Amino acid sequence: MKPDAGQVVERVTQSLLGEIAPTVEPSYRQASVSMQAMLLVAVREEMDRAAARRVEENAALRALFAQGAPLVPDAALRERLSSAADARDPSLLVPELEAANQALRALLIELHTAVEVLEGTAARDLDAAIWRELAASTERRKLSVAPF
Amino acid sequence: MSEFERRLAAYLATQLSGASGVEVTGLERIHGGASRETSRFVLRYVLGGRPHQRRLILRRDPPGSLIETDRRVEFAAYRAFHGSAVPVPEALWLEEDPAPLDHPFFIMEELAGLESNFQALLTPPYLPLRTKIGERKWSILGEIARADPGKLGLVGLMEPIEPEACWRRELEAWEKVLDEDELEPQPIIRAVIRWLRRHPPPPPQQIRVVHGDYRTGNFLFDSEGEIRAILDWEMAHLGDPLEDLAWGINPVWQWSRDGLAGSLLPKADAIRIWEAASGLRADPNALRWWELFSCVKGQGIWVSGGREYQGGANHDPVLGLSSWMMGNAQDRAALSLMGQLP
Repeated sequence: MKPDAGQVVERVTQSLLGEIAPTVEPSYRQASVSMQAMLLVAVREEMDRAAARRVEENAALRALFAQGAPLVPDAALRERLSSAADARDPSLLVPELEAANQALRALLIELHTAVEVLEGTAARDLDAAIWRELAASTERRKLSVAPF
Repeated sequence: MSEFERRLAAYLATQLSGASGVEVTGLERIHGGASRETSRFVLRYVLGGRPHQRRLILRRDPPGSLIETDRRVEFAAYRAFHGSAVPVPEALWLEEDPAPLDHPFFIMEELAGLESNFQALLTPPYLPLRTKIGERKWSILGEIARADPGKLGLVGLMEPIEPEACWRRELEAWEKVLDEDELEPQPIIRAVIRWLRRHPPPPPQQIRVVHGDYRTGNFLFDSEGEIRAILDWEMAHLGDPLEDLAWGINPVWQWSRDGLAGSLLPKADAIRIWEAASGLRADPNALRWWELFSCVKGQGIWVSGGREYQGGANHDPVLGLSSWMMGNAQDRAALSLMGQLP
């Protein structure tokens, strides 16, 4: 589908910033239009990576669950971790990937809570792996306009 | 006068005893904090046979915002610090009855011709003034921490708190915000909350007024580098003054991307200046606890704004952008403070 959706968003952003915002009054509404354009800049960044970052992250989380399931003393949690580790993304549609991602991130909180109070090398290694994944998760979502 | 200006003038006529010809003109919405709709206007009236004119600010409750706060406390904080070493605008009228303007509001003086936008600090003429502004910023915060809340008349207005309870009250309040408002799981901030519970800070040296949102962007400065007013007291409360120091040096305010706290000064300088002005010590372990807590609070603010935006309660694009951009930055700040950011 041409023009590319991403380029369409860029054109709309440029129009808002360069043509429309300067003509809008009062200043509060002008700033609001500029802010809408900034939102589109963020949308543009997210569009290209939306499916890829979720696929990558869901796989990373399932790998952590596979690593963590044998360590967790709670049988019910162990079972849910094993089940999640064996599951696959239902499709490449972003809403479905997102639903899976939210379920996996909620389960990650449970795993992290359980692992951080366990003793032993395997638990410490998994705790470190979880922190690495959490850091990676922020890189996947990072926006170029962010302050930090 | 527009219809709204007429309603505002009618209200002010009831507050200006003996005045006639009360008129409101030039009402214009401006950016001014995330919790209230802020507008400037000009008030004219005749009193004692003489014409009067004042430039004023209207702070009105919106249908939805980043922060749900008590306007009475905000109004009281402005009044308490007015005329002190902490510069604030004069707060004039508080109206909690929604009848006059559909929502509760308060009115204060406008300090015109000043700058508050943090982006302005990144370009001339303000760029070379960052050190001076930074020194004043943390010196004034020290003055807030030095002030006795009892002498300010704020003890009866702000919720009392025992020193040992400060950290728990704040953490529980913001955890509750996350519980109620988050649109997606927050594994980083949840891990931080667990760490904070396992490592509680020592009680504060003194219970003081905590501004609650003391950061670059929430004060007015002039072209000489002088801070003329501290704004946005909507989250003011009694508590540990380290909470304010930690919030102000949170990495998410580093818009300059040069590692300077609040885009103004090295963090160590900010702490040193605050200690000198407040007469208090910023214990490193206690400060680290409050820095991590500030990430919880920040994320609470960003997710609340995101919920308001997604639900349509508030269409202000800053809420949507903050939820994405600042939410991610807040997570990264938390990771950094936890020593987990590569």
